[in-house]
Amino acid sequence: MRKVVAVAVREFIETVKTKAFLVSALVMPLLVGGAVSGFGWISRSITAGELPPRRIAVVDYSGVVFGELARQCEAYNREHPRRQLLVAATAAADADTLAKTVREGEWHAYLIVPADVVDADTACEFGRKDIQFETGVQLQNMVNEAVFTARCRRTDPPIDPESVRELQRSAAIRTIDVQTGEEAGDEAARMVTPFVFMFLLFMATLGISNGLLTTVIEEKSSRVVEVLLSAISPLQLMAGKILGMAAVGLAMLSVWGGVGYASAHASGAGHLVTGYRVTYALLYFLPGFLLLSSLLAGIGSACNTIKDAQGMAFPLSLITIVPMFCWMYISQSPASTVSVALSFIPPMTPFVMILRVCADPHTPIWQIVASLALLWASVVVAMWASAKIFRVGVLMYGKPPSPRELFHWLRHA
Amino acid sequence: MTEVLTLTDVTKRFGRFTAVDRFSLRVPAGEVLGFLGPNGAGKTTTIRMVMSIIYPDEGEISVLGHPRASQVKDRVGYLPEERGLYRKMTVDQTLRYFGRLKGLHGHALSRRIAECLERVELQDWRRKRTEALSKGMQQKLQFVIAILHEPELVILDEPFSGLDPLNIELLKELIGELHGGRATVVLSTHQMEQAQRLCDRIVLINRGRKLIEGTMHEIRSRFTTRMLVLEGEGDFERLTRLPGVVSAHVTTAQARLELDDGADPSAILKHAVDVARLTRFEIQRPDLQEIFVRLVGADRQVDAGDAGDEPGSRVAAARRTN
Repeated sequence: MRKVVAVAVREFIETVKTKAFLVSALVMPLLVGGAVSGFGWISRSITAGELPPRRIAVVDYSGVVFGELARQCEAYNREHPRRQLLVAATAAADADTLAKTVREGEWHAYLIVPADVVDADTACEFGRKDIQFETGVQLQNMVNEAVFTARCRRTDPPIDPESVRELQRSAAIRTIDVQTGEEAGDEAARMVTPFVFMFLLFMATLGISNGLLTTVIEEKSSRVVEVLLSAISPLQLMAGKILGMAAVGLAMLSVWGGVGYASAHASGAGHLVTGYRVTYALLYFLPGFLLLSSLLAGIGSACNTIKDAQGMAFPLSLITIVPMFCWMYISQSPASTVSVALSFIPPMTPFVMILRVCADPHTPIWQIVASLALLWASVVVAMWASAKIFRVGVLMYGKPPSPRELFHWLRHA
Repeated sequence: MTEVLTLTDVTKRFGRFTAVDRFSLRVPAGEVLGFLGPNGAGKTTTIRMVMSIIYPDEGEISVLGHPRASQVKDRVGYLPEERGLYRKMTVDQTLRYFGRLKGLHGHALSRRIAECLERVELQDWRRKRTEALSKGMQQKLQFVIAILHEPELVILDEPFSGLDPLNIELLKELIGELHGGRATVVLSTHQMEQAQRLCDRIVLINRGRKLIEGTMHEIRSRFTTRMLVLEGEGDFERLTRLPGVVSAHVTTAQARLELDDGADPSAILKHAVDVARLTRFEIQRPDLQEIFVRLVGADRQVDAGDAGDEPGSRVAAARRTN
């Protein structure tokens, strides 16, 4: 046991020292955090950043829209002094002429309002060359408002548009999370919470286990492995490496988890990080990690190059990546037959289950127990098989074995 | 004398290929045993079975009185033929790591590391990464890893490969010192000259079977063939066609002629005087290299003529061809 610990300690120290680890453990959260706040900054600048005044030529054949449109514009410009939207009524002209003036830069855009816009659904024509998201949206809203106001005035007796708006005021809703008794906050944050937990688990298991593939192959190709085997058994070596890497995974999980928790708190979503969710993340981390890492250690030991090993690990990666693609479906319908079925396909189990328990606190306990039992059983099988393959493979050089040869190793090692 | 290592009818197959075939061996305590054989003879496979890295299909192995080396790994030192180092670790870290894996700790470990590094003149390289070491230094470091824990049994697989003559001498001294400290040594090598000088006893294997076993003296006395050694300047090539010369190895300065039983060396000397200015004329027994080449070559011929006979008759056949 002392030797297994010695192997684990070396594995941990050497991995934590590498640039790849530093990048993924420290730089990545900073980058992700940076990207999130950067995204906020970008979206703010889309709606509030400074823009030169945009002059729009309006040809109003209906005669009832322009007045209200100009009023809307003034109201907008009062609120956004640094991004003025200027409309000017223009003499009738055909679309081609107007388009030419826009192309030549005389106007920013043009708007043709048809004569029957209030009664029929004839389209207004908005000619532009920019791609500013907000310009289009604003103009659309303003035209809508202007047409709505014109329609109100045309009814008999006329209706006050303000009173209609007052009647349409939306009802206020306060969402409470009954698990915590607190205000539930942002819908989007609630929706992605299961994904965030699954992603953490994914990084800490598959991301780190892949490191195991690399170190096993490094030890093989540097021929250090037989020197090691002169002092310890293949099983001790494998156990030590997996243990060391599990510690790396836990370290990674705590750094990411810590950063995640801190940023969740900072953005007012701290209540989504519950003890319940963290407990399950850890409960599924351990067997999930052991399963993937023992499989990858076996694969690594059978191969001599990273390329061969990745080729052999491809089906495994493919299976584990499935929950990544259908996280939305699983977290939105955690109790559906498909979600339940996917929970019982071992390499996927931890990821699917964490999605489900995070999405639905009432996941049947028997499913949690059964999926954990299945996971641990497959850990035992995977370790047994990998230990056998490891014993033979670690001293084999040359072409990677075919599935048939691997099976032979399992039977005869 | 107690036996440190015993193999009884050990067999190992890889698929249909039999790498080691009913191989038996006894190594008494304190002996330096030369374990010789051509490439692919089954030496490394045998050694790996002794180290319980792989397991035999049949037969018994006993290491220091235990059926498995895994139970006594801390008392056995092993220098594998395929050996490497962690390139990014320093010499000191490397030795500490392997020392711990071999059951050394704390002060005893530090003391041994200092002692060994001094002995192989690597003390100034302690803080350097192993990738900065020359090939010879790396070899010495690997040797130190194998003997760090002062093992009772040391198994060295091709310890001299890649070393310069000075380092070979140093390594031989170190192996001698191991012996002085009553360690038992199993030395696998292709370098017959080293084996001849270092080993108390020789075992020669080919295709997984034992061809011959004994002390240098015993082995050489079994080969009664006379070797005629001539040195000097001249055309030795012409001597190879003389009657009584079975085979010959000729360079510009030397000829080694194998004589058949009835040949008269003085007749050859007479011819030699005509073709060359001689500085040396000597009749010798064949050296280990020649015995090795002959035995392995004969073993191959036997196989080509008659597959699947007893290993005993194979050795007999090899002797007959002498």
